[in-house]
Amino acid sequence: MGLERTMRRRVVITGMGVITPLGHNVADLWKSQVEGRSGVGPITLFDASRFPTKFAAQVKNFDLGRYVPEADRWANSGMNTQFALGAATQALEDAGLVDNAKLDRGRIGVYVGSGEGIQDFHHLMSLIARTYDPGRREVDTAEFARGGLHDFHAGREFEQELHTTTAHLAAQFDLQGPNFTCLTACAASSQAIGEATALIRHGDADIMLSGGSHSMIHPLGLTGFNLLTALSTHNQEPTKASRPFDLHRDGFVLGEGAGMLVLEELEHAKDRGATVYAELTGYGSTADAFRVTDSHPDGRGAIACILGALKDSGLKLSDIGYINAHGTSTQVNDKVETLAIKKIFGDGAYTIPVSSSKSMLGHLIAAAGGVELIISVMAMRKGVLPPTINYEEKDPECDLDYIPNEAREKRVGHVLSNSFGFGGQNISLIVSQFSE
Amino acid sequence: MASSSRRAVLTGIGVLTPIGLDQESFWHSLQTGRSGIRRFQSFDASGLPVQFGGEIVDFDAKKYLDKKERKNLKMMARTIQFAVSAAQLALDDCAIDKQQLDPTRFGVEFGAGLIATELEEVGEAARVSANCQPGSVDLAKWGEQGLAVMPPLWMLKYLPNMLACQVSILHNAQGPNNTITESEVASLLALGEAYRIIARDQADFFLVGGSDSKVNPLSLVRQCLFQPLSRRGDAPEKACRPFDRRRDGMVVGEGATVLALEELEHARRRGAKIYAEVVGFGAAFDRDRSGAGLARAIRAALAQAAIGPEDVDHINAQGYSTGEADAWEARGIHEVFGDRRTPVLAAKSYFGNLGAGSGTTELAASALALAHGVVPATLNYEEPDPECPVTVAAGAPQPVKRPYVVKVSFTDMGQCAAVVCRQWG
Repeated sequence: MGLERTMRRRVVITGMGVITPLGHNVADLWKSQVEGRSGVGPITLFDASRFPTKFAAQVKNFDLGRYVPEADRWANSGMNTQFALGAATQALEDAGLVDNAKLDRGRIGVYVGSGEGIQDFHHLMSLIARTYDPGRREVDTAEFARGGLHDFHAGREFEQELHTTTAHLAAQFDLQGPNFTCLTACAASSQAIGEATALIRHGDADIMLSGGSHSMIHPLGLTGFNLLTALSTHNQEPTKASRPFDLHRDGFVLGEGAGMLVLEELEHAKDRGATVYAELTGYGSTADAFRVTDSHPDGRGAIACILGALKDSGLKLSDIGYINAHGTSTQVNDKVETLAIKKIFGDGAYTIPVSSSKSMLGHLIAAAGGVELIISVMAMRKGVLPPTINYEEKDPECDLDYIPNEAREKRVGHVLSNSFGFGGQNISLIVSQFSE
Repeated sequence: MASSSRRAVLTGIGVLTPIGLDQESFWHSLQTGRSGIRRFQSFDASGLPVQFGGEIVDFDAKKYLDKKERKNLKMMARTIQFAVSAAQLALDDCAIDKQQLDPTRFGVEFGAGLIATELEEVGEAARVSANCQPGSVDLAKWGEQGLAVMPPLWMLKYLPNMLACQVSILHNAQGPNNTITESEVASLLALGEAYRIIARDQADFFLVGGSDSKVNPLSLVRQCLFQPLSRRGDAPEKACRPFDRRRDGMVVGEGATVLALEELEHARRRGAKIYAEVVGFGAAFDRDRSGAGLARAIRAALAQAAIGPEDVDHINAQGYSTGEADAWEARGIHEVFGDRRTPVLAAKSYFGNLGAGSGTTELAASALALAHGVVPATLNYEEPDPECPVTVAAGAPQPVKRPYVVKVSFTDMGQCAAVVCRQWG
């Protein structure tokens, strides 16, 4: 183990909170994972009946008022902010950080991968329809401007801005340390957690609230992904649509929600008697630098990223007991991710259980990594590995142990969690059972 | 605090701004006090209450890209085209042989904001989905007929992470790649993070940038709705007047700046020209927007640089030119620098608020100041405001007298960052 690692500040997880399609707290989410339930169903948030994809994994019965007083204050905010507030409340209460006057609030920061607020789709599109001249293929910009100033709602427009979520979190919970927002597509929350860990290690903060929050289950989100043909169109049986690593997978399923963790410097956590759930031991970050539409076919970036996380952790290949895969259920991702795991672990790849939480939750986009890291921590703590559901027929190119359909009891000491973003950002995180 | 023997220096500066589409013209404008704020020219803005800003005219991304790369431009919104063009300028400026660069040690990090769709691209889909009710479209028609008339790759043209992704693809940068989406503090946070990544030995070379364009009908409508914009339409070049008593609001601008940030020994080995060294970074949240959080970010950056306020030549401010923000910024600066009368440069007075592009663009003015030994003056600072206890450097450019500059950025909600750079040589 290198000098740098033995000397550096250690980062542990002391709080967790979630808002997901399968539960609004960690215990409920975990129960669903062990039972192998699907959170996917028809889209009810808007009329998706004539879209190529008509289903998603929606968060059900979310009530912000259960988490924060005066929930109306965030009435203009997008679901990214509202889910983040819900999950952050749980994580900070779990860690004993709410209204804790003994702590220096300037040493507690925020780093969240957060998506956009929700566009005012109907007002925008009806205005464009009114001001668009199909003959000239032009919009009358003066008319558009006059209409927009009248039709759009200032507060809701402001809340679409990408910095609002982390500012609301910092203001609501009095977190006055470094404040970052990143948005690297599907890798965002894992990247946030990795860089938040780096900030603590460096000494910029003692505690970071980190994770992700996102909803793209809105008309333009569904439009964008349907146009890219990235989504499953398995409309006849939505609960079977997300089938990572299965031969008949046909795209990912949109999900939504938030996963928030409290990351804390080890001695700081010990001094205040915090419960330590796990240690964040490894972080790797690379880019494919290949194409905006596809990942590199040889898994070049993914391999370098996983190796980077392993090097950062100082662990041996054989230490990794479980891999929580990115596992989107697209043809390319699942094949390339499998290839990357095999390239790195060799024959050992066949003895490491791998599963995809997205088989149950769908793809939470910027929030995916945060929720999946929490599931990874729970798997380690409970000694149970969650399954990949809907795994029915083997793909010859995906031949690892994907924990098909049923959870498995197994004690593991270290878990690797992968997140690969659209456009080529790759992030791998490793969490470990805490020991002195 | 963790320490590192690895140092990071700025070896390339690529700017695309309303006051110059290359470094030389940018610097010339700053030296001669030439404003880039004027009436919008690219579209009919007559429906807007504000019809001026820092607009870039005559931009053609094809000029900056190799022929074989130009086909990708149609998949890039204007903001992304700025980003890849400024990245090319930065690479050209640092004169690095890409063959000598280890792609796995080459990172990219950008500050980016929301990117507005070009209205024409959704015009046909909106039209076929129209129903007779104001403020709503028929989603069944949208799903059935609208999608069919939209460009298949529509979404990829507007995702904020595509700035850094496209740059990484064009230049085979396989190292860490992040996109900070925190409004006006975004690109300074990106720089701070890239600096830390180099220090912790996970990259040797970074392109760090920020790019933003709000000079389009949709973004401007939104800005007019929720931003305190200057209404000084009779004299646009006088509209952005940070810390001046008669300031009346922000001015929208557009542009990009990409910096080449390089590990010192890596730069030395190839004999690179060095503009300045990045020696400190701090970030904080200013809960009450009182300046206290901004002061903490500055102190953290100074502490990391192991210097005191007396070593600082000038402060490169955020300087929104709004009543409230300039006042709390000035209080924050005063809390650290006291009555030392350290000069303050507010570069927005030249080109307005470049959004996510503002941090690196404004820092470029100070990096060039350190390299040239001359600090540009702030424009339009005519009458001091007792609410803003800072010494604004106005009038004529001044010689650099001390070796360090502090750059601060923050958002309207209080997210703050500070970077300290040291003069080289």
